[in-house]
Amino acid sequence: MVVVSEPVILEIALNLLGLVVGLALGIFSYIGFKNTGSPTLFRLNISFFSIGIGFGVVGFGFIVEYFVLGYGGISGWIQTLGIGIQTVGYFFIAFSHGIKSFFPKSRYFKSIILPLFIIPGNSLEHIIRSISFILLVYGTIETIMSYMESRKRSTIFVAAGLGLLALGEFLGWYSVIFPKSVLYLVSLSTKIAGLGALFVPISQVPLRGGVRPGGSL
Amino acid sequence: MSIIGDILTTTRDESPDESGSSVTYLIRKANISHGRLAKILDTLVQQGLLEQTSSERACKYKISERGREFLQAYRGFREFADSFGLRI
Repeated sequence: MVVVSEPVILEIALNLLGLVVGLALGIFSYIGFKNTGSPTLFRLNISFFSIGIGFGVVGFGFIVEYFVLGYGGISGWIQTLGIGIQTVGYFFIAFSHGIKSFFPKSRYFKSIILPLFIIPGNSLEHIIRSISFILLVYGTIETIMSYMESRKRSTIFVAAGLGLLALGEFLGWYSVIFPKSVLYLVSLSTKIAGLGALFVPISQVPLRGGVRPGGSL
Repeated sequence: MSIIGDILTTTRDESPDESGSSVTYLIRKANISHGRLAKILDTLVQQGLLEQTSSERACKYKISERGREFLQAYRGFREFADSFGLRI
C-alpha cells in the first residue's frame, strides 16, 4: 500500500483547483467569444484552457503515479508537459498584448533575464518556467500600464493575478535549488491565488442575452 | 469590433428620429469613411443586427432586437477584456 504524505495530497488538490479555475475562466471567455466573435476573447479562451489543462496534467499525473502506479514521485516529463501547456496559455495572454520581441534589446536587461535561461542548463522544465515567467511579467507590466490609463479597479486585480502567477512560476523554478523545502507548495498556492484574482472581472459581466453574428465582422 | 459597437450604440441611443439614423449621421458619429461604413452596414444588415428602413430620400438604419442583444453582450465582454488591458 502506498503511503501518501499530506504535501502530496495538497499538491494534487491545488493542481486540480488550478484545473477548475482555469477551465472556468476558459469557458467564460468562450461564452464571450461565442457572443461577440471577438478574436481577443478567443485568444483568452485558448489561454485559460491551456493554463487549466496544464494544471490538470500535473494533478492527474500525481494521482496516476501515486495511486495507480504506486511510484514515490511524479515523473519529470509529466511535470514538464503540464508546465509546457501552461506556458502556451501565458504566451497567448502576452501575445494578446501585442508582444513585439522576445528578448529586450537593452544590455542591462539582458544581464538580468539571460541568466534565467542559462542557469537551468539542459533542463527543459526550467527553460519553460523561465519563458512562462518572462511572458507573465510582460503581461503584468502591460496590464499595469492599462490600469494607469483606465484606472479601472478590475484591471488592477488582473495585474495582481498575473503578477502572482509570475511569482508562482519564479518560486517553482527556484524550488529546484531547495527541492525538499515547501517552495513548490508555496509556488502552487501563489499561482492558484493569481488565477483566483483573474476571476474578479467576471463578476462584472452579465451572462444573459447576446448573440454572435455569423460570418466575419 | 469597436466601430460595430459604436454604430449599434448610435442607432440604439442617438437616432435623431424613430425611422432610424441616416448614413450621413452615422458617418459623423462613427468618424469613418463612407465606403467603409457602407460595407459595415451591409454586413450588419445581413447579420440581422440592423434593420434598413426607407425614407423619402435615403436609407436609414435601426437597431434590431438581435442587435440589442449583441450590444448588451458586447458591452459586458468589453469590460472583461478591458480588465485585462485588452481591446475586444
